[in-house]
Amino acid sequence: MSPSQDAVQPTETEDKAQEQAPPPPKPDKLDMRGFIPGYVRCGGTKELGEVTSHNIRLLKRLNQVIFPVSYNDKFYKDVLEAGELAKLAYYNDIVVGAVCCRVDTSDPTQRRLYIMTLGCLGAYRRLGIGTIMLDHVLKYVQRDGNFDSIFLHVQVNNDVAIEFYKKFGFEVIETKKHYYKRIEPADAHVLQKTLRPKIPSTQQNGVVERSRS
Amino acid sequence: MVQTMIIMKCYEHKQYKNGLKFAKQILSNPKFSEHGETLAMKGLTLNCLGRKEEAYDYVRRGLEVTSLVMSYQERFDLTRWHVYGLLQRSDRKYDEAIKCYRNALKWDKDNIQILRDLSLLQIQMRDLEGYKDTRYQLFALRPTQRASWIGFALSYHMLKDYDMALKILEEFRKTQSKRPYDYEHSELLLYQNMVMREAGQYEKALNHLDLYEEQICDRQSLLEKRAQLYLQLKRHKEAEQVYRELIQRNPENLSYYHGLEQAAQSSSSEERLKLCQELQSLYPRAHCPKRIAFQCTKEQNMLHGKTSLRTVFNGKLSFLLICILRSCCVGEQFRSHVDPYLRRSLRKGVPPLFVEMRHFYEDPDKVKVLEELVEGYAESLVQRGTFSADTEEPEPITALLWTYYYLGQHYDHLGDHTRALHYINTAIDHTPTLIELFVAKAKIFKVLLHQTNEGCMTLNNLCAQHAGNIQEGVKWLEEAQGLDTADRYINSKCAKYMLRANLVKEAEEMCSKFTREGVSAMENLNEMQCMWFQTECAAAFQRLGKYGDSLKKCHEVDRHFSEIIEDQFDFHTYCMRKMTLEAYVGLIRLEDVLRGHNFYMKAAKTAIEVYLKLFDHPLADSNTIQETNTGLLIE
Ligand SMILES: CC(C)(COP(=O)(O)OP(=O)(O)OC[C@H]1O[C@@H](n2cnc3c(N)ncnc32)[C@H](O)[C@@H]1OP(=O)(O)O)[C@@H](O)C(=O)NCCC(=O)NCCS
Repeated sequence: MSPSQDAVQPTETEDKAQEQAPPPPKPDKLDMRGFIPGYVRCGGTKELGEVTSHNIRLLKRLNQVIFPVSYNDKFYKDVLEAGELAKLAYYNDIVVGAVCCRVDTSDPTQRRLYIMTLGCLGAYRRLGIGTIMLDHVLKYVQRDGNFDSIFLHVQVNNDVAIEFYKKFGFEVIETKKHYYKRIEPADAHVLQKTLRPKIPSTQQNGVVERSRS
Repeated sequence: MVQTMIIMKCYEHKQYKNGLKFAKQILSNPKFSEHGETLAMKGLTLNCLGRKEEAYDYVRRGLEVTSLVMSYQERFDLTRWHVYGLLQRSDRKYDEAIKCYRNALKWDKDNIQILRDLSLLQIQMRDLEGYKDTRYQLFALRPTQRASWIGFALSYHMLKDYDMALKILEEFRKTQSKRPYDYEHSELLLYQNMVMREAGQYEKALNHLDLYEEQICDRQSLLEKRAQLYLQLKRHKEAEQVYRELIQRNPENLSYYHGLEQAAQSSSSEERLKLCQELQSLYPRAHCPKRIAFQCTKEQNMLHGKTSLRTVFNGKLSFLLICILRSCCVGEQFRSHVDPYLRRSLRKGVPPLFVEMRHFYEDPDKVKVLEELVEGYAESLVQRGTFSADTEEPEPITALLWTYYYLGQHYDHLGDHTRALHYINTAIDHTPTLIELFVAKAKIFKVLLHQTNEGCMTLNNLCAQHAGNIQEGVKWLEEAQGLDTADRYINSKCAKYMLRANLVKEAEEMCSKFTREGVSAMENLNEMQCMWFQTECAAAFQRLGKYGDSLKKCHEVDRHFSEIIEDQFDFHTYCMRKMTLEAYVGLIRLEDVLRGHNFYMKAAKTAIEVYLKLFDHPLADSNTIQETNTGLLIE
């Protein structure tokens, strides 16, 4: 989940829809064995779809419901330009999740992919929807071939997300104190998956290629 | 005069510019500057180029001049009346045009062109006796032409003189030589067959089909007719066979299933169900028959009182459902058949499930069964993820969502709005991204509006609370619309709610997202003959007391209908030439009842109400009405 610095907190007037919407779900209980037995992976089609100006409100709705921070207009404007880096997830033809990333170049020596949001409606968790979204992102960076790493922030108490990302080879590399401004706990872990070692002498080619692209 | 004939030719071939050039040439010659025929033709040509005033001027001048020389130049008179007739026709004054042609014929009663034009006007005006006479004359004058025979036969067919029509058609058929794959000939045969069937000569019609099977190219049409004839002749075995062949060709045509059922003559409900299951297994993917008109039978009328099923169903039932309905209509039997149907639909997520089921809601016992079943699913899905305690198979999460959605609509239909809102809101909490939920929510508020709005004529009469409900309804549809702005259905629905809430400007703006850019939405909607909008708009203006605006919309609708009737004109020649005679007769019959259409009725009702209102309360006496435009009030 991207930092609250990035986001505009909901103000009373700005975000009426939020009043109607149910409160954001608390992170699921960590459950190592599985979910309600009946719901274990039964049928259902899962697909990803594009974010367009026609359905952008669906993405807003999702984010309002799933995340405790709200995102400003610029966030959604950028998403429209993000192409493969922003996707909606459909389950049985209904929009139930979304992922939004951007390329991060805050460190000039590295090209990294930053996952701003990746989430799925509470009722549709543990069905593999998070997985298809993250798979999509991983495939994207693999096809691109020029990313050093993928990273994201999570609230330190979000055990479910941490478990989820660990399964895909992410590790906690750092913990930032008071990262979030208006939510508790305010501390965030930085989760990262390294895609290639830092400036290895044998991979000069890769560097050359990157500066070309 | 030869040059004048050239102008006529140009006119007939729509080369108006050339025609004008020739006219100018002739008229610039001082000897002919007052040549009546040419003046008239020039007028006619100008008319087609949209220069109305000049047109009438020239024609009138032409007529004046020619009448001076009439005594020794009768030929001119003939032409001037013909020309005048054409002019009237292009102005859609058909009665006047007929008179002109009749005058023209006084000078030359055998003029083919004029007779032909006259016959077109007669069929357009449904002067069937006159049409017959004219077609007879044309036939007598040109017995070698195909169109003469066809028109002649058709004129008798229209007058229900089947014997004569059939005699002519048969004589004509004999003159035709066989060519391979001659579609026009095939159409002729099918038309001949149509007349036989309408004459009630089923045996003969059937033999006719058998005899000419090879020459009929439209195989589907052939089979359909044959199946029908077998049914009519009570040769059920053969009918069944043909219907099966038809279903195989197209498993999505409900009328075939219906025919098959009649042919199979199942006497018990069990037999019917068996047939239905057999077909379902033969064509498991056939969506069938959903959304296809459903014919009613006597027996169904018995089951359902007087209302015919056709009106109840409005053609929106699936075949399986019809079978359930028809075969097992009571208690436990109903439950055992509808249960799997519901489960399947909820599992797949069939949004119009409730609309399909709504037809069972006339019967309180069935409503109870449905309610128990679906409430049961909801409970079980929440607890264990299955539809019932005794099933193992887990359902997709969306099954619960669709179940909530169903219950919301169910209680809304029963008038229990609190519970309806509860379920819809629960569903929205569960999945806040499903657009249907917002539409359903809006509908709950709309129903509230309608119940309280009865008898109210203006917004002023509505108390604040009801106005609030309209606003709520609009609000939720706007929400739905925002979630998918590419969805034109939701867009239109939202606009319709706005009109119901008398928000005409807002509705227009909503529609403008889909209308052509650069034109006002109102105009474009009129251009596209978007009549649901125009009728709703007229009603909104009426409620707002903007009577002028309301009448304007009503007259726009009326104009669309006039236009459709006008457009018929071209088909009188076109269909005859292309031999698409069955379709042509269908068109004629449709046009005869065109103004019975719902849109027309709605607009007419509004207009009548407004006119009566204005008659009873003339504007001058009323100070409550502020906004009216007077343009159309005089009509
Ligand atoms: C994290 C999240 C996206 C996971 O989505 P999901 O669709 O439920 O995940 P998947 O079904 O693909 O799960 C993949 C694996 O992650 C792990 N996992 C996911 N949820 C888990 C849980 N509640 N307990 C334990 N492990 C879990 C499991 O290993 C799971 O594999 P398995 O089901 O075969 O055991 C979802 O919980 C979510 O939207 N959370 C809220 C938003 C959020 O916190 N996002 C992260 C910050 S950007």
